Amino acid sequence: MRNVTAIMQRELLSLFWSPIGYIVIAGFLLITGVIVLVSETFAPGQPASLRSMFQYTPLILTIIIPAISMRALSEEYRTGTIETLTTAPITDFEMVFGKYLASLAFYVIMLACTLVYLVLLEIFGNPDWGATLSAYFGLVLVGVLFTAFGIFASSLTRNQIVAWILGAVPLLLFAWFSFYYVSRAEGWVREVLQQVNVMGRFEQFARGSVTTDGLVFFLASAAFFLFVSVKVVESRRWR
Amino acid sequence: MIEVRNLSKFYGSHRAVDSISFSIAEGEIVGFLGPNGAGKTTTIRILTCFHPATAGAAAINGHDVFTESIKVRSVVGYLPENNPLYPEMRVREYLDFRGKLHGLDRAQRRAAIGRVSERCWLTDVIRRPIGQLSKGFRQRVGLADALLHNPKVLILDEPTVGLDPTQIRETRSLIQDLAKEHTVLLSSHILPEVQATCQRIIIINRGRIVASGSPDELRERVSGESQTIAEVQAPETDVRAGLEGLQGVTKVKVASTNGWTRATVATKADLRETIFRLSAEKGWAVRELRREVASLEDFFVKIVAGAIGGSEK
Repeated sequence: MRNVTAIMQRELLSLFWSPIGYIVIAGFLLITGVIVLVSETFAPGQPASLRSMFQYTPLILTIIIPAISMRALSEEYRTGTIETLTTAPITDFEMVFGKYLASLAFYVIMLACTLVYLVLLEIFGNPDWGATLSAYFGLVLVGVLFTAFGIFASSLTRNQIVAWILGAVPLLLFAWFSFYYVSRAEGWVREVLQQVNVMGRFEQFARGSVTTDGLVFFLASAAFFLFVSVKVVESRRWR
Repeated sequence: MIEVRNLSKFYGSHRAVDSISFSIAEGEIVGFLGPNGAGKTTTIRILTCFHPATAGAAAINGHDVFTESIKVRSVVGYLPENNPLYPEMRVREYLDFRGKLHGLDRAQRRAAIGRVSERCWLTDVIRRPIGQLSKGFRQRVGLADALLHNPKVLILDEPTVGLDPTQIRETRSLIQDLAKEHTVLLSSHILPEVQATCQRIIIINRGRIVASGSPDELRERVSGESQTIAEVQAPETDVRAGLEGLQGVTKVKVASTNGWTRATVATKADLRETIFRLSAEKGWAVRELRREVASLEDFFVKIVAGAIGGSEK
């Protein structure tokens, strides 16, 4: 565990050392800010909720989160520092997991910046705290899954931009059109698609219902992509 | 300390290392010498558990590099070939991070960083970002990292590549100093490099070990090709006849200009005295008489050119 913490600390610091970290945070806050503005969340007579922001944020995260995690492993491959890392007495899992936790922590810090809207809602209205907290919990869970996928994309290539595209495009196709796929599919395919519908899962949380199967879905699928990432890192040793 | 048996490594169908075996005892300082692409780095990467071998086995400190890789990694200090570092980190931060990976606690890390930064002359730059350091300083940071956990075995891949002459000399003396406490395996494609620092040299070419031994042993094996050069004032034919009559002479080459004859005599023994007596006897004036011992460099160049390659193991 100490190795995981060491990797995570270094990784998190290097995210804050590089300009990419700040650009990603600025981009994310700008987009969510515009959504809050355009949806007239703070207009008189509107319900005191961040519903419109919650509706679109997971869609934005399909692009933003792979940008956070893209350098995690690909940069190590590119600069060759993977050699000093994988010859240190730590397991490949500890290395991948430490990097994963760092990207996730960065995402949570970024998400925490949007809490300012909640403060405004509390000042000017009377928000439903239960549903809001559950929605934030849902956003963290979306981050848990998307970050794991982003790390997987990063494990595949030594080029950050390729890692970003490999991470963002499948997530985007999957999340943006998930309801379309579900409505068109039939039989057992529909059943499966319904189960893995990220947006559907998230909306449960956004409505205020924290369910065990939702929690299990996000954690288990994140664990799956982390497992695959570790296997990719291991397999690269054999080349 | 290091035990390698029939180790092979293929990259696809390319054979980078071909069934090599050697062993290194505790406290030895061994040089791994070979041209670029000979398989030095590949072998070193197998020993440091960076990638697994295709066939054969290797063990360090009694632990197999494949099945007990974490144990091997904790007793090995490794300086990779191009010395990859994180440019955005400061020297102290980097060493602290590496210390954590080696399981040192806070107090141990403090002590270790103090020890290695003094040893590698890093004290002045300890707060500087690595990206701002010169190549020589970066190499020292890599070396400091390899020494941090006081490893039993030090594996240094091309430790002086890209350094200026002063830095090379400093690094060499540092390595020799380190050999008192650690077993050292270093690689190089430059002969004087290993000749100056190592007790034993393993020469590798095209994935095979072509020669190994102490610098003196290796030199002895090539001294059979030494020659004596004499320049005397006498006719060419006389000189040739006179020299060929001497004992132990295998081949004589002569060339004359302006009455002076320059003879190159291939011989194993030192013939300078004999040639002098012969000249005195015949009344030739001598203006040059010297012995040229084939250097390890010549031997190495021949190996690289493939003249000796693979003939023995």
